[in-house]
Amino acid sequence: MPSAAVPAAGLHRRLEGLDLLLLGAKERTDSFERFSLASSGRQKPSRFWRVDIDAIVPEPERIALDGVTVRVDGADGRAIVCDLATAARDRMDLLGRAFGLTTAATSKFGALARAFSGIGCFVYVPADYDCKRPIAVTYAVAPNLAVFPYTVVLLERGARATVIERYEGGAGAFVCAATEAITEENSDLTCAAYQRLDAGSRFLFARAGRPGRDAKITWASADFGSDLTVGDLSVTIAEPGIEAGITSLFFPTGSQHVDIVSTVDHTVGESASHTRVKSAATDRGQARYLGNIRIAHDAQGTDSSLRDDALLLSKHAHIDSVPALEIAANDVKAYHGATVGALDEEQIFYLESRGIARTAAERMIALGFFDPAIARFPTEALREVLRQALQAKLS
Amino acid sequence: MAEPGLRIADLHCSVAGNEILKGIDLVVEPAQVHALMGPNGSGKSTLALSLTGHPHYAVTGGTATLDGEDLLALAPDKRARAGLFLSFQYPAAIPGVKVANFLHAARQAERPGDLPPAKFRALLLEKMELLGMDPSFMGRYLNDGFSGGEKKRLEMLQLAMLAPKYAVLDETDSGLDIDALKAVGESIAALRASDEGRDTGFLIITHYPRILQHVKPDVVHVMIDGRIVKTGGEDLAHRIEREGYDTIREEIGAIA
Repeated sequence: MPSAAVPAAGLHRRLEGLDLLLLGAKERTDSFERFSLASSGRQKPSRFWRVDIDAIVPEPERIALDGVTVRVDGADGRAIVCDLATAARDRMDLLGRAFGLTTAATSKFGALARAFSGIGCFVYVPADYDCKRPIAVTYAVAPNLAVFPYTVVLLERGARATVIERYEGGAGAFVCAATEAITEENSDLTCAAYQRLDAGSRFLFARAGRPGRDAKITWASADFGSDLTVGDLSVTIAEPGIEAGITSLFFPTGSQHVDIVSTVDHTVGESASHTRVKSAATDRGQARYLGNIRIAHDAQGTDSSLRDDALLLSKHAHIDSVPALEIAANDVKAYHGATVGALDEEQIFYLESRGIARTAAERMIALGFFDPAIARFPTEALREVLRQALQAKLS
Repeated sequence: MAEPGLRIADLHCSVAGNEILKGIDLVVEPAQVHALMGPNGSGKSTLALSLTGHPHYAVTGGTATLDGEDLLALAPDKRARAGLFLSFQYPAAIPGVKVANFLHAARQAERPGDLPPAKFRALLLEKMELLGMDPSFMGRYLNDGFSGGEKKRLEMLQLAMLAPKYAVLDETDSGLDIDALKAVGESIAALRASDEGRDTGFLIITHYPRILQHVKPDVVHVMIDGRIVKTGGEDLAHRIEREGYDTIREEIGAIA
């Protein structure tokens, strides 16, 4: 990659002077090397897709770790919610049990976020504690800078929590984010993210979870902002009894690009995973989705499903959707289904026949298309925010 | 106001290039009930869908007015707002759109701002009870996973909530059991007894006279091969029940 060589050298120097309490110099260098060498796992650029994801790098002079501020709300009782630097200073015993221990840390952009980690949030919920109030983590990004927000979640056995991340602001910014969740036996984590970064920004993220035995883990991701969104959502299932859910919503409008890869790795059986993707595109919006389900030879009794529906609302919009199932076990349930289509004329006519004007009818149907996926997001307040955001995109 | 009534004159309609309606003349006056009977494929549903403006149904001649307004010049939503309602034989399912939200949008479109949300909800519950529908219907997705009978009840619920000037019911009775049919009949009777629905004119498309026991027709028409071949009173429906369409076919054959 000759084009990446020059900025990479400058980038490397930017690793100096970072918080070594959080992550040592060698680990930062190693992470950076991993970013430089790893593939993002994306297909080659196509006729519809001119962005070379693997060549994306931030400009060294724009890197400013404090270009993002973290606001947290909702920590209650025995849970700890604090910024990453504080956690590194005071509770490394806890942070060290989760930070860098999921596949997010080894994915291309997750490794970049880790190399430059400094600003972020740590959520810890002790054993058997039910954190009833959702924990809200908001990353407000300053314009035009390159920032690396990092969220680490640790749930001990039997703990329950809902974490809602928001990414906002950041006109013209480069935002490379990682979220890692280690959840122990019998815990229940719902982790939602709503991204509405301003125009001109690029958003790269890696979110990964490693649940314990009989744990429940749910990722829900809504990506509506940013000019370019590239994201990896993954769960590693290495214990039995796990119930994992991944929901991804995206809707490129104008000239937005979205590229999402979800991966569920079943290495042990008797677990379930359900992936649901709903996307729409209009104007010249482009999206690509790759859904990986891997079921290892010994993962008998796995129950997995992958359902992906895409709605095209203009003739220049494009969505590529590729489900990829690798199944080495022989006693499993593995369902996948994908649809790509335009609005249904019979549905539009039905609403029109009830006095609803065509544009309003189209909006209602498109909004309805997303509704089952919105229902998988936590809190009515967030669901309403997502509906409003979709309304705005549709009008 | 120009002449009241749903007035159809010499209406011709083609589907995919085939002429289905070959000159229909029909006038439904306010508060009248007309029954339109005929064998499968005679063009009854085509009449219903061409009146409401379905894009696949091309009107190639004739006129249709609603209380003087030229229906054929209007987009489908404007026909509805002018006061035309079709109870679909096969209503579309729209996953993600909840029944209550849809009904509210439809009522707002056709009667803007006439009911505050609490009153709308109360009215909706009242009409649902009349149709024997559980309140949980409101939160379900529109026709999604509905049984045939549930779909027809929902069409009747819309009729009750919208109280149109003219309602075309396309085989609303088919696929209904006795209880559902009775509920539908009672719902229509309640609408006709209400202030809103007192003047509603009905065009009831059906194969069977049994719905007509619940809603007595003033006029019965028989459609065969894209034309109305016979018009009469309620007795015509009973004759069809006894004899089928063959004797009518023979009769018109004799005339021709």
